[in-house]
Amino acid sequence: MLEHYPKEIVIKDGTPVLIRPATKEDEQALNEFFARIPQDERWFLRDDLADPVDLRRWIEQLDYNKVMPLVAVNQQDGAIIAEVRLHRRLARCLRHVAHLRIGVDPAYRNQRLGTWMLIDVIKLAMDLGLDKLLAEFVQEAEEAAIHAARRLDFFEHAIIRDYCKDVKGNYHDLLIMVKTLHSDWCDF
Amino acid sequence: MTDVSQRDNSRDDEKGAITVETPKGPVLIYSQCMPGFFSDLRLDAGLGHFSHYSSIIQKLEVFEKIAAGKDGRVSLGLVDDKVVVAYGVGYYPDSTERWSKLGDLMYEVAAIEVSRHYRSMKIADVMLSEMVNDELFADKILYMNGFSWHWDLDGKGLTMAQYRKMMMNFFKTHGFQENYTNEPNIALREENLFMVRIGPKVSPEDQQRFRNLRFGIVNR
Repeated sequence: MLEHYPKEIVIKDGTPVLIRPATKEDEQALNEFFARIPQDERWFLRDDLADPVDLRRWIEQLDYNKVMPLVAVNQQDGAIIAEVRLHRRLARCLRHVAHLRIGVDPAYRNQRLGTWMLIDVIKLAMDLGLDKLLAEFVQEAEEAAIHAARRLDFFEHAIIRDYCKDVKGNYHDLLIMVKTLHSDWCDF
Repeated sequence: MTDVSQRDNSRDDEKGAITVETPKGPVLIYSQCMPGFFSDLRLDAGLGHFSHYSSIIQKLEVFEKIAAGKDGRVSLGLVDDKVVVAYGVGYYPDSTERWSKLGDLMYEVAAIEVSRHYRSMKIADVMLSEMVNDELFADKILYMNGFSWHWDLDGKGLTMAQYRKMMMNFFKTHGFQENYTNEPNIALREENLFMVRIGPKVSPEDQQRFRNLRFGIVNR
């Protein structure tokens, strides 16, 4: 599946960007990327990859069969400006499903970069033979990602009320969105 | 029964065609049919209307029109010298399409289709190979739109994802690569495909213009 990478896109401001799988060599660039994510957003990260120690551990154990991380690289300066991860389950009953996580550098938001990352990961999921993609978003904290997911036919399947706490201790709902990867014409 | 993996694709110089031996007998591939070639032909019953799927081209007059157009390409696979069992067509993008903004730099491989009765016999492979390996395309960007609503999933017995992968692999063997674009028809569904083959003589400047145009950016 990875032979089709890298993929080139151009975002709204004309910046050329490459989307490709993350590798161990990306550790430094990923450290810099996560350091640019605002503290209040980092709070909601399910894996605290903003911590260099955790990032090193994560990248050393990288197994594409379990987690497929894709990064967006600014071709002009080589910086990683977005990342999306496809978390797969090895259990036979859940092999058809993957969870995704996405993050975009604040300086590159509202450029459709997040949308392109989602499109790419959807295509990858299709190539991997998956049936469903599941994404969890913290309401009020991740509204831009929710909006982008809605536009790509992720549907709201559940809301767990008061599931997450923000840095100040306020509760937020967790929104679970699912995209079905149609295998035939039933959706027409 | 002929083993299709060991089929013999020999050029029949006398007729200007390539013969593809299939389990159903020989199919002659005419790779660049001229206007006037299409009278007295008929389409095989495996091309046409089916539930969930219709052939892109269903009238012979369309071939005539394409062949008569500027640099139009029509490639046909014939049985018994009169039954069309496969076709491939190519032309410059229509003025209403985004890609026409780059003039004659862009050229569309607009359709390649094999009758339901003659599939998996490498006919499309030979047709596309003959079509794209043409000096005309050395300084052009060839592209194909893979719209999932044209795919014959029932006929192939494939899921949408499997069909998409098959298309990607097929065009990849002929030098095409998937490119992303926000062109609305392609962007309409994520399984749609936009694949591109950049000729060896296409300048870096033209490649840059094409890259920008893929994302709706003109003249940068």
